[in-house]
Amino acid sequence: MLSKFKWSTLVGAACVVVISCYAIAGFSRSPQASVQLATEPPISQVSPLEAEATKYLGSGRYESPVQIKLQARDAMGAPLQNARFHLQILTPPPTPWFTTDFPIVEGTKLLDIEGNAPTGEFKMQQVFPIRGNYQLHVNVNPIVENAFAPITQTLNLTVPENPLKFRYFLIVLAVLLAIGFIGGWVIGGRQAIQIGEVAPRRVRLLLSGVTVLAIATLLFFNVSAELVQAHASMAEVAPAVDNSGLITSQGLKLELTGDIQTVVGQTASFQAKLTDTQTNQPVSDAVFAIKSTQLENNWVAFAYQGVPDMKGALAWREQLFDGAPYSIEVNVSPKPDSKVQFQPFQVTREIEVEGIAPPMSVRMISLLYFTGVLTLGLIAGLWLQRRRLQVI
Amino acid sequence: MRASIQVSRLRRAEQFVLSMPAQAVLYVVLWSLIIWLVYFGTYPAVHNAAHSLRHHTLGVSCH
Repeated sequence: MLSKFKWSTLVGAACVVVISCYAIAGFSRSPQASVQLATEPPISQVSPLEAEATKYLGSGRYESPVQIKLQARDAMGAPLQNARFHLQILTPPPTPWFTTDFPIVEGTKLLDIEGNAPTGEFKMQQVFPIRGNYQLHVNVNPIVENAFAPITQTLNLTVPENPLKFRYFLIVLAVLLAIGFIGGWVIGGRQAIQIGEVAPRRVRLLLSGVTVLAIATLLFFNVSAELVQAHASMAEVAPAVDNSGLITSQGLKLELTGDIQTVVGQTASFQAKLTDTQTNQPVSDAVFAIKSTQLENNWVAFAYQGVPDMKGALAWREQLFDGAPYSIEVNVSPKPDSKVQFQPFQVTREIEVEGIAPPMSVRMISLLYFTGVLTLGLIAGLWLQRRRLQVI
Repeated sequence: MRASIQVSRLRRAEQFVLSMPAQAVLYVVLWSLIIWLVYFGTYPAVHNAAHSLRHHTLGVSCH
């Protein structure tokens, strides 16, 4: 009787524990304040930067950067007003076994920016350099203290590979297989060595042909490099432009400070600041429009429009991921309801970006793949030739 | 005696070099050299001439 009572107590206690656990889990799943991510165009239609797009190879044009919208919402789904966003974009992890065209960019930070969002919506534009899964670390804090609980969230964006590359890759594979097959077919043929010959006539022709091709390739690269250098030396020297990052207009001073040169794989830091030249006081009642442009091919890498902080400053860090000169442009304009009204003006600064050669290991892996495909073609050629000879 | 050993060694080396596997390896390595030059060499002259091709080929890193 006593043991029966103990068992029923035990089962009852277990039920209470299980129900409590479910209740806690249910509470934890209840809606919370969060950040919603949207892109324009939808991320499935986005391609990474098509670098060196030409009329002959590629689409011949550079796509506009992708617009990223982050909306902070409370637990009921209503937009959170007067929020301060801190956004960090991390690039996909390294993929040495199937490299992208910017391997130095893999596993690095692309952007680090803080900005105010009066309506709870934070918008910016960014070009994605490579395919893969980007992580967006977002921190949202209230501008007015304790207006809402801070939000910390990690969002993911998966950028698909450019479909053009798959199409071109099929051609590369076909060419490599064909080269290998022709070699295998010729080398595998039954060929008697004539007196005084070091190798069968067809094999000698084949190897000599490839050697001539190697010489022609070397000649092409060297001659074209000489021509490019000759053109460059003949080109007129561009007049020196003001690269101080400082401009004064209508009693206002706009200053762009930060790194003047950087390296691919690292973030460069920049700060724009607006000051009243008469009072030397910061002006925060303005709108800053930032744009960074790659100057070799003139495509926009990053753009953001926002308001400065109370010190009249807007700071950000971004990775300039192509080894080429960039221009950073900051345009200031007054807010429509601002006391200080002025004509919009801008400051531009040119930044030198040093490209880094891909790691030797990554290049060797890719070379092995290409040589492997060629070898497969060669084996197929040898095998088919042998079979043909056996039949004969 | 010594001269005849040298001749037979030379003959064996010649037979190896002219054998089908050696010719196949020579062919593959020669092409491998061309592929390296076009897709993976970092000399500015080569890099600049093949820049667009490299950026449009899957599995090829550029910079």
